Amino acid sequence: MHAPQNLSALARKIGRTPAETQLWEEFLGKLFAAEGAQEEAALTSTLRSLAEELEEEPLAAKIAALAAELPEFPATRVFQLALKACGEKRREQEETLSHLRQMLAELATPIIRIWTDMLLVAMIGNIDSQRAQDIAERLLNRVSSTRAKVVIVDVTGVPMIDTVVGGFLIEMFNATRLLGAEVILTGIKPEVAHTLVKLGVDFQTVSIARDLEDALRRGIALTMEETRKRRELALSLAKSGVGENDERGAF
Amino acid sequence: MDLEKLEAILASQSHEFDVVVRIAKEEDIAVARQMAKKLAQEMGFSLADTTKVATAVSELARNIYRYAQQGRIMLRKKEEGKSGPSMEIIAADQGPGIPDVELVLTKGYTTYERSLGIGLSGVKRLMDSFAIYSAPGRGTVVVAEKRRRRF
Ligand SMILES: Nc1ncnc2c1ncn2[C@@H]1O[C@H](COP(=O)(O)OP(=O)(O)O)[C@@H](O)[C@H]1O
Ligand SMILES: [Mg+2]
Repeated sequence: MHAPQNLSALARKIGRTPAETQLWEEFLGKLFAAEGAQEEAALTSTLRSLAEELEEEPLAAKIAALAAELPEFPATRVFQLALKACGEKRREQEETLSHLRQMLAELATPIIRIWTDMLLVAMIGNIDSQRAQDIAERLLNRVSSTRAKVVIVDVTGVPMIDTVVGGFLIEMFNATRLLGAEVILTGIKPEVAHTLVKLGVDFQTVSIARDLEDALRRGIALTMEETRKRRELALSLAKSGVGENDERGAF
Repeated sequence: MDLEKLEAILASQSHEFDVVVRIAKEEDIAVARQMAKKLAQEMGFSLADTTKVATAVSELARNIYRYAQQGRIMLRKKEEGKSGPSMEIIAADQGPGIPDVELVLTKGYTTYERSLGIGLSGVKRLMDSFAIYSAPGRGTVVVAEKRRRRF
C-alpha cells in the first residue's frame, strides 16, 4: 500500500494549481484506499471535477504519467472511468446549451398576453427554419392553454420575408385559426410589402392592420363581439330550454 | 449553346466577382443575403430595391442548399453606359440539375414538401432580367440582374 505522504507528493508534482493538486490527492487517496475496492461513483465524480479543472487532453496525459510513476496504477480502469466522466460532462454541457438556446428563443420572440383573450407575438430579426418551428410551437401551445380568441402578430422587427418565412407565417396562421383564434397581422414595412407582392406571397386568410394601435383596436372589437355572441347564444339556449319544458307552450 | 454557358459559368473564378459566398450550411443563406444587402446599399439602391435583391438572393441560396446541397452565390457590380449601374446575381451549383426549366418556373410547382413553389418565378419578377441554365447531372445556374433606379 502507498503511504499517504507519497501520494500527496505525487499529487503536488502533477497538479498545477492548488485546486487541481487537491483533486488529484483526493483521487489517489480513493483509488488506493486501504478498504480495497472503492466505489466507482466516487472515483468518477472526482475525475469529473478534474475534467472540469483541466481539458480532456491534459487529463489523459496526467493519467498516463501516473501510470508510469506507479506500477500498480490501474490505468485501464482509470481511463474507462475518465471517459465516462468526460461523457457526463459533455452531456451536461449539451443540456445547458439547449436550455440556453430555448431561453434565447423565448427572449427573441416574446408572446405576451396584452388583453383578455388576446396574445401579441412580436417577431424580431431573421427567421430561420429552426426559429420558425420554435415560434409556431410556442404560439400554438399558448393559444390552446390560454384559450385566446385573437392573436396579433407583429413583424415590424423582421427585415425580410422570403417565400420560406412567408410560407411559415401562413402555416402558423392557419394552425392558429384551427385552434379557434383570429389572427391580425401588423408591421409589414413598405419595402417588404413590395417584395411580397412580386413574390406572390399573400396573407389572404388573416386581417392586416396598419399598425399596432389599429391591430389592438380591431382585436378588442373582435373579443367583445365574441363575448356578445356567447352571451346571446346562452340567452337563446336558456329561452328555448324554458319553451321545451313548459307544457303550456310559450304563448 | 446553353450547356456551354452553364459550363462557362460553373468554371468562373472568384476574382471575377465582388462577392462570392459558398453555400453549404443553412447559416450561409443568411450570410449571402446580408452580403447582397450590403452591396446593394453601397451601390445606392433604394430601400425597396435593396430588399428585393436581398430576398432574391435568399431564395436562390436556399434552393442551392435544399436541392444541390452546395454551390456559390456570386455578386458583381456592372457599370454600364445608358441603363446605368446594375447588380448581377449568379447562383451556381453542380447539383442534380433541372430537367424541365419551364415547369419549375410555373407558380406553385415544387418538389419540396410543404414548400410554396414560387421562389424562382418570384425571383424572376423581382429582378430586371433573369435566365436559368440547367442540365440534369451537371448543375444549375441562375443569372439575374437588377438595375439601380434613382428616385
Ligand atoms: N438549384 C436547383 N437545383 C435543382 N433543382 C432546383 C434548384 N432550384 C430549384 N429547383 C427545383 O425547382 C422547384 C421550384 O423551386 P422554387 O420556385 O424555388 O420553389 P420551392 O423551392 O418552394 O420548391 C424546386 O422544388 C426544385 O424542384
Ligand atoms: Mg425555393
